[in-house]
Amino acid sequence: MAVRRIDVREKVMARNDELAAEVRGRLAVHSIPSLNLVSSPGSGKTSLLEQTLDALGDRVRMAVVTGDVQTQNDADRLAARTDRLVQAVVTGGACHMDARQISTALDEIDLAETDLLFVENVGNLVCPASWDLGEDAKVVIFSVTEGEDKPLKYPKMFEQSDYCVINKIDLLPYLPFDMDRAVECARQVNPNLRFFHTSALTGEGMEEWYDFLATLAGLRQGAMG
Amino acid sequence: MHELSIAYDICRITEEHVGPEGLASVLEVGVEVGVNAGLEIDSLEFCLEALLGAPPFGQAVPKIDRLDGDELRVTYVEVEDGSP
Repeated sequence: MAVRRIDVREKVMARNDELAAEVRGRLAVHSIPSLNLVSSPGSGKTSLLEQTLDALGDRVRMAVVTGDVQTQNDADRLAARTDRLVQAVVTGGACHMDARQISTALDEIDLAETDLLFVENVGNLVCPASWDLGEDAKVVIFSVTEGEDKPLKYPKMFEQSDYCVINKIDLLPYLPFDMDRAVECARQVNPNLRFFHTSALTGEGMEEWYDFLATLAGLRQGAMG
Repeated sequence: MHELSIAYDICRITEEHVGPEGLASVLEVGVEVGVNAGLEIDSLEFCLEALLGAPPFGQAVPKIDRLDGDELRVTYVEVEDGSP
């Protein structure tokens, strides 16, 4: 039996990467900065976005695409805070979002009337790190109930993120959480991370986050002259 | 956690190279997986064995090589050549 070997050398993620590039291109046409919010389940992504929509909604036109394995609960919570469309993606069991879902969601969003795009990814600190969605940056959210060494346990997500929000700081008085060690663990994995320390519940630390987002969205207005 | 969807993508890439009619003659699919690719190798191998060993494939098997880094790619496909 003759055997023939066909040289392939093709990246398995190539198709997703092509779609991510297309998403990036569409956002660039409208100069829309985009953030992909990633975390374990229950870190406070939706709460952070609820407060963000409340605080910045009249200054920054924000679009949100939420991903959940099941239910549109997060999208419903966010839709209550904004008149703008919140796109829900139900992944039906998949542990991550992919670029095709974002591309489809963008079809429904009025990009000409959008200053900033959030993707709220599926709560999972492993798999979403492998899928480029076409975002400008990943924001990893990490709550103080999770343990200081989480960045060492899930390094890829922290490596790939540009920003780290340490959330639920209102609980610090009740927990043996060592903030310095948590920051040190995250910096060990990614020395370039920029940190925010927030409580989406009490609002503590949220001003810096809002300023950052307003500047990000404002850069767009500046770029457009 | 997403090894099955990756395994389906590997089968899709294989089909792109051999065509739908060629799937039954595939003998081996070579895959390189980086240690930081976010995949559990045993699980990926299990999924690939299940997919490659059933129609429309014939009796194909995966050959997984582990590498450093986060590479994840199909390197080759071996097929039974019809010529004597």
